[in-house]
Amino acid sequence: MRRRTLLKLVGVTAAAEGLAIACGGATTAPTASATTAAAAAATTAATAAPTVAAPAKPTGRISVYSALNESTNNDFVKAFKAANAGIEVDLLPLAAAGELQTRIRAEKASPKADIFIGGDSSFHDGLGKEGLLEPYTSPNAKDIAAEAKDPNNSWVGWYFGIFSIVTNTDRFNKEIGGPKPTTWDDLLDPKYKGKLILPDPIKTGGGYIFIATQLFRFNKDEAKMLDYMKKLHANIAQYPGTSPQSIQFVSQGQFVACPNWAHDILTEKAKNPGIDLSVPKDTGFEIGAVSIIKGSKVLPAAKAFVDWVLTKEAGELNVKLSNRVSVRKDVAPAPGAPTLDSVSLVKYDRDFAAANKDRLLKAWQAAVGI
Amino acid sequence: MRSLRREPTLLLALLAIAGLVALFIVYPQIQVILTPGSTGYVDFLTGGTWVRPLQNSLLITALSTTTAVTLGFVYAYAMVYSDMPWKPFFRLVGILPLLSPPFVVAAAYILLFGPRGIVSYYVFGQSPNILGLYGVWAVQTIAFFPFAYQLIADVLSRSDARMEQAARNLGAGAWGVFRTVTLPLTRPGLGAAILMTAIYVLEDFGNPALIGGFFTVLPTQAYSLISGFGDLTGAAAVSTILLLLALVLYVAKIRLDGGRSYVTVSGRASSMPRPPVPAAASRACFVACLTLAALILMVYGTLVVSALTVAFPTNLRFTPVHFEYLTAQNLSLRNTLTYGLAAATISAGFAIVAGFLVQRGTWPGRRVLDFLLIMPAAVPGLFFGLGYVVAFNQPWLDWVDRGALIVVALIFWNIPVGYQAAVAGLRQIDRSIDEAATSLGASSMRGFRDVLLPMLRGSLRVGFVTTFVRAVTTLSLVIFLFTPQTTVATITIFQLVNDFNWGGATAFTVADVGMAVIVLTILAAVGGRRGLALGAARA
Repeated sequence: MRRRTLLKLVGVTAAAEGLAIACGGATTAPTASATTAAAAAATTAATAAPTVAAPAKPTGRISVYSALNESTNNDFVKAFKAANAGIEVDLLPLAAAGELQTRIRAEKASPKADIFIGGDSSFHDGLGKEGLLEPYTSPNAKDIAAEAKDPNNSWVGWYFGIFSIVTNTDRFNKEIGGPKPTTWDDLLDPKYKGKLILPDPIKTGGGYIFIATQLFRFNKDEAKMLDYMKKLHANIAQYPGTSPQSIQFVSQGQFVACPNWAHDILTEKAKNPGIDLSVPKDTGFEIGAVSIIKGSKVLPAAKAFVDWVLTKEAGELNVKLSNRVSVRKDVAPAPGAPTLDSVSLVKYDRDFAAANKDRLLKAWQAAVGI
Repeated sequence: MRSLRREPTLLLALLAIAGLVALFIVYPQIQVILTPGSTGYVDFLTGGTWVRPLQNSLLITALSTTTAVTLGFVYAYAMVYSDMPWKPFFRLVGILPLLSPPFVVAAAYILLFGPRGIVSYYVFGQSPNILGLYGVWAVQTIAFFPFAYQLIADVLSRSDARMEQAARNLGAGAWGVFRTVTLPLTRPGLGAAILMTAIYVLEDFGNPALIGGFFTVLPTQAYSLISGFGDLTGAAAVSTILLLLALVLYVAKIRLDGGRSYVTVSGRASSMPRPPVPAAASRACFVACLTLAALILMVYGTLVVSALTVAFPTNLRFTPVHFEYLTAQNLSLRNTLTYGLAAATISAGFAIVAGFLVQRGTWPGRRVLDFLLIMPAAVPGLFFGLGYVVAFNQPWLDWVDRGALIVVALIFWNIPVGYQAAVAGLRQIDRSIDEAATSLGASSMRGFRDVLLPMLRGSLRVGFVTTFVRAVTTLSLVIFLFTPQTTVATITIFQLVNDFNWGGATAFTVADVGMAVIVLTILAAVGGRRGLALGAARA
């Protein structure tokens, strides 16, 4: 970092332009040099006295890799910029946390992002364990429950997503009947055969959380979990590659039901009242995370972004834009949205789920034969 | 072509092409392939999880290639030989399936033919399960017949009417002429079409991923390994299996072609018309093309209607509101157009020059370059893009413009079809034609430029069209390469689909496809007028 900074400072304009291109292009050369200098100064200051806040307001241009929904992204960044004059944001949107994770990994020789936001904490945790994230403890994280924070401080949670079931009301009433599913075992009813879908456990965060939820429901008895998944497989028509697409299929009536995210189901329900949300007993949840990429050249600005994401204002905005549940107790949930207190949660062992992900998924693949 | 030693420009051109191929095709792929290390490969291969995807890949490649090439041949024959009406319309419809942005078109198929599809359920009352082998087979047939159609039509248009007239005069019937003259002479095109279609089916990720159900093929398995397990080893191993299969197909094609001559354009000028095709055959061609066109237009019609209604199919009230995204996100559309045009122009030109150097050359090692220029077709876009990130995202390369890198990736990923078209075209043109130029004192490059190039306009167009349409519709290639300033239309579409915004996504798709159609129409108009001046070659 030090050597690279020095090179950039003494280097010709070309070097500064290179940095500008790397960060997104539009910055003029002098600004880029100034930013680098400020970043270097702030880094030195931070190393000397980590708890003392930077004297001046951070400035610069941060590059944000976002796995959030498109409509959330735009308003979210706008609000951040309004609250943090002097920081420009280059947003790279890709609503697929797995791809962003792979991309950050592939770019490690010369990182192009400062911030990774959105997606379950497991996507961030993997990068953190590989040393690709910059540990940071935001002063605003002190009010957040310990379970929503990384013990190593490489990421911090800022929203919860609760796993539930979406049903197509019309088809459900005609073809299944009775009350909406209240337990995961209800989905094993043979009436669902060929009418049920589940987001692909391998490609989507939600699909894996579903498997892990079943495992914890059976007290980590893997044989029981695999037996359940095998029986469920008999009813499954497809494991679609993205979670939103699965909700769309149910919304169109192509399929009757699908385990999926409560907040996304509510978003689609606002457009199509013909679907319904039900949260079964013993459900699991995700912790939506935000992290700083190691090698960021605008660290103070990146930290300011994380600080802002953890504010009440940002939490409320996220609730409004995406129906997700804020990790902050002082942020009210969206109307009709289930919260961690209102549903029955399985004892979700996040470390176990993360550490055994590959093994469990391979066991599942072998069990259902795909 | 004279020996390389006597023509330094030729040698330089060859070195330049070989250098660029090494840098932009071989090097990034080696980066991906070498990441795992040998133990990783051994573990993966002994694990055996690749066996069933391999079997599935082989099965679907055999099925889809057969139907797509058959359909492509019928379409090409109808377009070039028959007297059916509406040819300009069919020419456009024949390349529409290439303009299928991932997600959106497959989603339209499910809207039409899914368990509650508009056609399948609301018209016919059926609730079919289209997910799986049969769905993939049907969709791939439609998606890939345009490759076969273009390559075969290009070759058919250059076939020699005199041979057909001669056969006719010797007493052969219309069917006899077709079977004994027309069909055998299309073999270079047919071989190229089978090879390219098979490789593209083999590499196809989007269709199996969206309508494959539980039917896993090698590209979907590789994608799962990468995005689910972060398993570069396994993914690279699968990628290597795909490359080996492509190599097998390539060798098979070389064997199939044998050392025969398919020259139909020789030094002697001909202005003889083709013997007429029976009226019944023309009518059959028309009906076949019309049926296919109806199916294709239904899919695109669904997209247009979705873009113009509040919430298709539940709320069909008209609204222009979805098109507001075009102004908000016009950067991605503009980038798509710029990158597509740049990549298509350079890729088509590069492919023709490379085709000339390889097909006319006698230098050692040209089979290697020949294969390397076809190989990218077997590399799923995701890996091609990943290879570029690993290879070129280096601190000392940070000055490289990302838009330029995307263009370079598009050029080399899409070279195979244009290159195949060039080689197939050159095989039809008698060497004596360019030799006449060189023996009159022209350099080989000059002979190529002034004599061969005008006759290869069709091949050039195939290369341009294919690269352009693939550039404007690819998502997987750019997913690791785009930046906020170099985002493209498919990224926007992907974002809108995942944001429960079907109206916005389809509006953007309509704009993207519409933009491409306009470009191709302009190209056809310009190319068509020039084409008239090339009567000799077109017969």
